[in-house]
Amino acid sequence: MIYDVCPPTIHLRKGMKVMIGQAVFALLVILSGAPVCPAADTLAAEHIVDTAIRYYRGQSSAAIMDMKIVRPAWSRELSLKAWTKGQKNSLFTIISPPKDEGNGTLKKGDEMWTYNPKINRIIKLPPSMMSQSWMGSDFSNDDLAKSDSIVEDYVHRLIGAEFHEGKRVHVIQCTPKPGAAVVWGKQVLKIREDHILLLQEFYDEDNRLVKFLTGTQIEPVGGKVFPRFWTMQKGTDGRDFTIVAYREVRFDMEIPDDFFTRTSLTNAWR
Amino acid sequence: MSLYSYMAWRNIWRNPRRSLLTMGAIAFATVILIFMLSLQFGNYSTIIDSVVKMRTGHLQVQATGYQENRDIHLAVADPSQVAATLDRAPEVSGFTFRAHAFALVSSDNRSYGTVVTGISDRELTTSSLARTISEGRFLTEDEGAQALVGNILAKNLRVKPGDEVALLGQGLDGSVAATIVTVRGILSSGQDQFDRVSFYIPLPYFQELFGMGEAVHEIVVIAERLEDVAGLKQRLEEEVAGDTGRALRVLDWKELSPGLLEAITLDLMTGFLFYIVLIVVVAFSISNTFIMAIFERKKELGLMLALGSRPARLTGILFLEYGMLTTLGLAAGILIGCLVTLYFGAYGIQIPGMAEMARHYGVPERVFPQLSFLSVGIGSGLVVGISLCTSLIPVWKVRRLRPVPAMAEG
Amino acid sequence: MLLQLAWRNIWRNPRRTILILAAVTIAVWSMVFSSALMRGIADQMVRNGIATLTGHIQIHQQGFRDDPSAAMHMKNPTELKQTLQDHLPPGALFSARVRTNAVASNARHSGGVTLVGIDPDREKKLSFVSSSIISGNYLDAEDPYGIIIGTSLMNSLKTRVGNKLVVMAQDTRQKMSSRAFRITGEYRAELEATEKEFVFITLPAAQNLLKMDEALSEICIVLPDREKVRETAAALARILPKDHEILAWQEMLPLVTATLRLYESIIYLWYLVAFTAMAFGLVNTFLMAVLERIREFGLLRALGMKSRWIIQGVMTESFFLLVIGIALGNALGAISVIGLSHTGIDLSVFAGGTQYWGLPKIIYPVLLASDAILVNGIVLVLGLLVSGYPALKASHFTPVEAMAHT
Repeated sequence: MIYDVCPPTIHLRKGMKVMIGQAVFALLVILSGAPVCPAADTLAAEHIVDTAIRYYRGQSSAAIMDMKIVRPAWSRELSLKAWTKGQKNSLFTIISPPKDEGNGTLKKGDEMWTYNPKINRIIKLPPSMMSQSWMGSDFSNDDLAKSDSIVEDYVHRLIGAEFHEGKRVHVIQCTPKPGAAVVWGKQVLKIREDHILLLQEFYDEDNRLVKFLTGTQIEPVGGKVFPRFWTMQKGTDGRDFTIVAYREVRFDMEIPDDFFTRTSLTNAWR
Repeated sequence: MSLYSYMAWRNIWRNPRRSLLTMGAIAFATVILIFMLSLQFGNYSTIIDSVVKMRTGHLQVQATGYQENRDIHLAVADPSQVAATLDRAPEVSGFTFRAHAFALVSSDNRSYGTVVTGISDRELTTSSLARTISEGRFLTEDEGAQALVGNILAKNLRVKPGDEVALLGQGLDGSVAATIVTVRGILSSGQDQFDRVSFYIPLPYFQELFGMGEAVHEIVVIAERLEDVAGLKQRLEEEVAGDTGRALRVLDWKELSPGLLEAITLDLMTGFLFYIVLIVVVAFSISNTFIMAIFERKKELGLMLALGSRPARLTGILFLEYGMLTTLGLAAGILIGCLVTLYFGAYGIQIPGMAEMARHYGVPERVFPQLSFLSVGIGSGLVVGISLCTSLIPVWKVRRLRPVPAMAEG
Repeated sequence: MLLQLAWRNIWRNPRRTILILAAVTIAVWSMVFSSALMRGIADQMVRNGIATLTGHIQIHQQGFRDDPSAAMHMKNPTELKQTLQDHLPPGALFSARVRTNAVASNARHSGGVTLVGIDPDREKKLSFVSSSIISGNYLDAEDPYGIIIGTSLMNSLKTRVGNKLVVMAQDTRQKMSSRAFRITGEYRAELEATEKEFVFITLPAAQNLLKMDEALSEICIVLPDREKVRETAAALARILPKDHEILAWQEMLPLVTATLRLYESIIYLWYLVAFTAMAFGLVNTFLMAVLERIREFGLLRALGMKSRWIIQGVMTESFFLLVIGIALGNALGAISVIGLSHTGIDLSVFAGGTQYWGLPKIIYPVLLASDAILVNGIVLVLGLLVSGYPALKASHFTPVEAMAHT
């Protein structure tokens, strides 16, 4: 089944690429407990975030996901296939419901294209559409296009520690670097010592929570321990949210760069 | 006719030239005030009408919250029910249905996010949209995948009638709404903010594309007259909004285009400055003739005093005279003013420079003064007020008149 | 002789003379004052239009107006600036800009805007921005992250001075480029549409964001004399390369140009109305003055005075009265215009916070010499014309008629 989510040209590579050096460094930082100086603190926090994002995205991934969008008056379910490589490239395509099958999104760097099979057209998203929601969900196009910016565009600081299922959790506050094209006032991440992102909170500049992403049901998924459910919730009243569930996922297979092209966008769903 | 009135009447016609000139001044003032006020009011109703007809309608029935949130889900599910109510209302001159959705419109290599509007054939009887077609032609409901595009949006997209535009949005159920439509016509309302975003497709096609069923977002109502709007709004609120447990809401043009009323008020106030100047001129013109008449008749009045007329009686007669002059002048003024206003009301006035302005604001190129009780009332009221005030001056003069010096003068 | 006689006649009945003078004075004042008001409104519209980034003349790459993107830029700014320095009349100001469509967003809201990169110091002298800051500060040339936005946009983005704003636009290579700015100032404009549309950052920040190097999208020129605009624009068109488009404000603001023409016609109509209102008073007063002296005219006729002379005499009297009235009217008009030229007439109380049309909220009357001359001419010529009727009347009294008159 897993082969289904990979285009024929992609060969799976057994095992997971582990960056030993980085892991050791992270371990040292974590074991050393309280940071000795702010610089080290920042460096350690950045490293935790970086590692978690790498762990989450993998070098590359291919997955089948189910998405449920919940609103007070209605809800909607759809399923999609997703491929990612590094932090710049990704491709999503809807496989159900049949009505929406084949609608896809290609992301390269900061730019996005969308494809609709009914009209057989690829449309590049203009800047004005980037903050719009992706397929009506609580994820915006920007959430997808800028998933890498959490490492590059922020200054990270460890602000606390918690425990979750017997494991240590780092609470990290991420403040945007000056000039970084980030709309948030800050983000707060909770990352478990095994690199699992449990919570990502998005705050506006007045420190009010705008939306938050939570990872739940942590279990081995596609060879990695990983939250199977991801929930993006708007505001704090719990009325509007979107749940993404990984049905199948595979990490770190070889995906050629030229897979993330407009041609794939039109063919990926077939 | 009492003796006083008879004497006053006789006095007036003793010097017909003077009386006619005085009446002429009063009549002219009345004509000018009535005409100018009618022109201004007419202009406002033209402007309100054209804004209203171009965009919002006098009234709209919407789902509660739609005006603020513009959420596609906040729709009027059963417009036919509202339509039935509107069909029964005699003040309604026309109504139409519209539906809106945010969508990405895209030509070969250019894309813009805009609001796509579904319009019905009723649009022709309700709004002036069809008149803003500058290229191609208007839509009909049964034509399907056709679109009208604002000229600036069309220029940005680089499309002309006959070209295809892809539309990508999200339906009511959250599914992807995508289609390709052919540009049928280009709209040039002259108002950039509209021409930059306008994108219209037939309503049934819109409803199918966005999975709306029979639902619409706006029921746009045009009343027979602007004056009917308030009453109609109240009735609709009771019947429509009440029946649906406040799920529907009725909005009037003031709520739909905030700022329009303020702009009109500002313009009215600017106009008011000119009225003050006009009133000063008119007041002088009338008082001048009145005062002059007193000077001229000083000898006569002195004689009457000397013959034993009491000053009170004399001022009474003078008042009556002025009253008669004013009434006659006013009557003539109202008659002529109404005729002039009606004439230009029918044919319109073309002022150089008006055409471009008019095109920009989407109003007719001619100005049509509109005769109303208000303009006639205010106009003649002002004249009566001025006459009354100025007639006090000569009357006051008479009270201080001493018979002998008066007769000796001149 | 005739003049002296007329002058003396005028003052034989000072009260009547004063009345006539008052009528003429008020009429002239009303014409002068209302045309000054009208010109004031029109002038304000032109100024607002010009100050709202239009300037007197603009230079762009050909095609910029159809497609205001970063790609449509002028590549030789140094050369261009030198040419302008050499050829513009002394006292002329110019400022370079970068301008493109962009999206401004914060955590909760976003909106389409026009991004304008400006040279803060130069811009200060020729457009409205620096003088319209109502909170925070004007742009600092050294601040690469500063941005200034209008009140209306501020409200729709629900943000305030000190907050961050992310601006996203397509650069010269059609790639998306974005950057965060900090709102350093808030401006108020005459029109809400202006406040909603324009956001300002420094020129280098804009060039950097859009990867334009030193290139410019626009040069805006303000001349010391508004009347020289077309001439200067034509001269620039001859000097500058053919791929540059030179536009005068009249072409950039067609609506204002149309409004000016409309106001011109309204002013003339107004003259007609005010004059007619005055004419009634004038004719009536003159007529009475003549009738009052019916015996005198009758006697003069009986003594063999030609009717032409009588007409001449009466006309000379009215000429004096008109000239004095006009002089007083002009003085009164000038006083009211000068008196209001600082405070203006504030109508904003009635207009609330927003603007729909370009009507100014405070009217500063502007008196044009041409209007004053026209008013004087009209009142004098037409005034003499209408006083012809009483004069004619006076010349036609037969001695018998005159003597019979009581």
